[in-house]
Amino acid sequence: MGDNGHDSDTVTLTIDGLEVTVPKGTTILQAAEALGNRIPHYCYHPGLSAPAQCRLCLVEVEGAPKLAPSCVTDAQDGQVVHTESESAKGMRQGVLEFYLANHPLDCPICDQSGECKLQDYVFEEGRKHGRSREPKRVFGRDDFGGDVLFYGDRCVMCTRCVRFMDEMAQDPRLTVVERGNRSIIDTFFEEGVEGSPYSGNIVDICPVGALVSKDFLHKARAWDLDHTPSICPNCSQGCNIDLHTRDNLVQRLKPRPNLDVNEYWMCDYGRHRYEWMNRGDRIEVPLVRRDDGHEATDWPGVLEPLLESLREGKGPVRAVASPFVSNEALAALASLVEALGGGEIVFRSARADTEIPLPGFPKLTRRHDLVPNRRGAEILGMTRVGSDDGSSGLDELADHRGTLLVLGDELADLGPDFGARASLYLYLGSHPTPAATAADFVLPITTHAEEEGTFTNYEGRVQRFWPALQGPGAARPAWLPLSLLAARMEGTRSPSRVDEAFLRAGELAPEFRGLAYESIGTRGALVNEPAVLPEG
Amino acid sequence: MPATVKVMRRPEAGETSYLRATLKGMALTFKHLISPSRTATVQYPEEEPTISPRWRGTHVMETHADGRPKCVACGLCPTVCPANCIRLVGGEDDMGNRYPIVYEIDEFRCIFCGMCQEVCPVEAIHVGVHFENAEYTRERFVYDLDRLMEQDHPSTLLWDPSDPRSE
Repeated sequence: MGDNGHDSDTVTLTIDGLEVTVPKGTTILQAAEALGNRIPHYCYHPGLSAPAQCRLCLVEVEGAPKLAPSCVTDAQDGQVVHTESESAKGMRQGVLEFYLANHPLDCPICDQSGECKLQDYVFEEGRKHGRSREPKRVFGRDDFGGDVLFYGDRCVMCTRCVRFMDEMAQDPRLTVVERGNRSIIDTFFEEGVEGSPYSGNIVDICPVGALVSKDFLHKARAWDLDHTPSICPNCSQGCNIDLHTRDNLVQRLKPRPNLDVNEYWMCDYGRHRYEWMNRGDRIEVPLVRRDDGHEATDWPGVLEPLLESLREGKGPVRAVASPFVSNEALAALASLVEALGGGEIVFRSARADTEIPLPGFPKLTRRHDLVPNRRGAEILGMTRVGSDDGSSGLDELADHRGTLLVLGDELADLGPDFGARASLYLYLGSHPTPAATAADFVLPITTHAEEEGTFTNYEGRVQRFWPALQGPGAARPAWLPLSLLAARMEGTRSPSRVDEAFLRAGELAPEFRGLAYESIGTRGALVNEPAVLPEG
Repeated sequence: MPATVKVMRRPEAGETSYLRATLKGMALTFKHLISPSRTATVQYPEEEPTISPRWRGTHVMETHADGRPKCVACGLCPTVCPANCIRLVGGEDDMGNRYPIVYEIDEFRCIFCGMCQEVCPVEAIHVGVHFENAEYTRERFVYDLDRLMEQDHPSTLLWDPSDPRSE
């Protein structure tokens, strides 16, 4: 057992009777996690240093004089670890009882209830009844600034928040004041964490309800929320996130670990920009232009006349795309333009003057581009026009006399006479806009929160997102009608699934060639790097 | 031959005749007709029927002495409700306490199982000892927070294992 030799890079140890081989330098806690055995812990967080102060991850190591904190004890060759032995379990039960000596039993009014580590651990292995008769200490609640509210009574002093601000944000705003039983997290200055661009993460890493989000306060219970893996659409970093939804509304965004992109974190800029996904003003049915305005119809009722108009050929084709739509929709638009004889596709995207890096993990940065898919649009041969606030640049197109296609861009700066001179104006969008007034056909499309697809982030990483909300009415993912039209024009077969629609992007741009949904997975894949599927 | 054969006894003539049983039953009926001392019929609505203290009827929301509802919007009753008849939107009152901004119970969907009362950590929502709830419209059966607080009938006693008959 564990006879690996000294020059090996791996060690083999036994945890609860199961043998596991891990790289040298792995802690017992991480080795146990590799076995699927999650040792209870508070102060340890994979993205932060481990001070071994919560005393919850103590395990029995054979031969050691006393229980060892598994979060800082390196796994040794031949080590025999017991996490469920009498002494380890008894220690955990005792430590949990000490936590509950001061932790209020206010789970009914606590926002963390349902995703609280103290709740989980005490439910699993705590005492049935508390024995403490002394009054609990009371701190009350404190505004930490920004989006963060602090309930001092609930704090278990794991200091994850302090270490995040020190190590990751490298902007020490929090500290521990007082000693012993009275010790508590506090801010240095009046403003607290106000203005710190990554402070929302301390709410995520707080294992109990001590740090809660003001935005989410009392909004929903944790067990009511559905979690859907997605990609943050607020900048070109492409942070992996979970959309937490309830009643078909996005309630909050939480980072989803991806060590290649955002580690365990996301910025406050992205975290708080989700309200537009809940907008109620939507285009719900296809619209066809009549003499006195738009008339609602159904998909067959719009696609047939639209196809007829496209076949007639109404002059040179120009198209406006949006960097908020998926690679699949962009590729479908490019195919349609190609089928119509080709033409220039432009897009507009907002750009910030500054980047906001996370100092402890500088690869995570709020990027210049405040759109999720600028890279994807550029790979597919589209050109960026307009100014840095995502407006203007379409003056020439407003008076275009040929065929005009608009995908996703709300054209907020343009009036009802946009496209009035076009011989055929097709608008695909989610939200009603005055600029679609002159459109001959308006097709309702879903937002990225309502469909499956991929974005390409700043470094060319293609990442998948999944539908979290139900789209309104007859709205469909934009790639579906676009690729159907393109296929009918060319007399080919139209993709019926989103993964087939993605393969179309590979046919258009060599960068996407070889990529497929199966190989992208949940971690994303860089364009032109893996060659899992054969070409063609 | 099968392993087990049950030999059935054929009933005798006295047993197959139902005359004796019929006469016995009619005797009981006539006995009650003559002595109506143990009538089961209650002359409702002139007479109020007695309801068990564990009757589970129309809901009651308990209030604090100052008139605020005891509910803290923890969300356990809509979670546990098997009929999905409770709608709750949490928020904060002017004193900074968690508070139900919207609390509605659809008494039509309710199956009066009493689990909302059992699960409530602050003993706010109760099923009540009450059954007379007639209305002219269906909408009136969706009780909002104010209406639940106005209910003045007694709330139900939960079953106590040490006192199984609620005595």
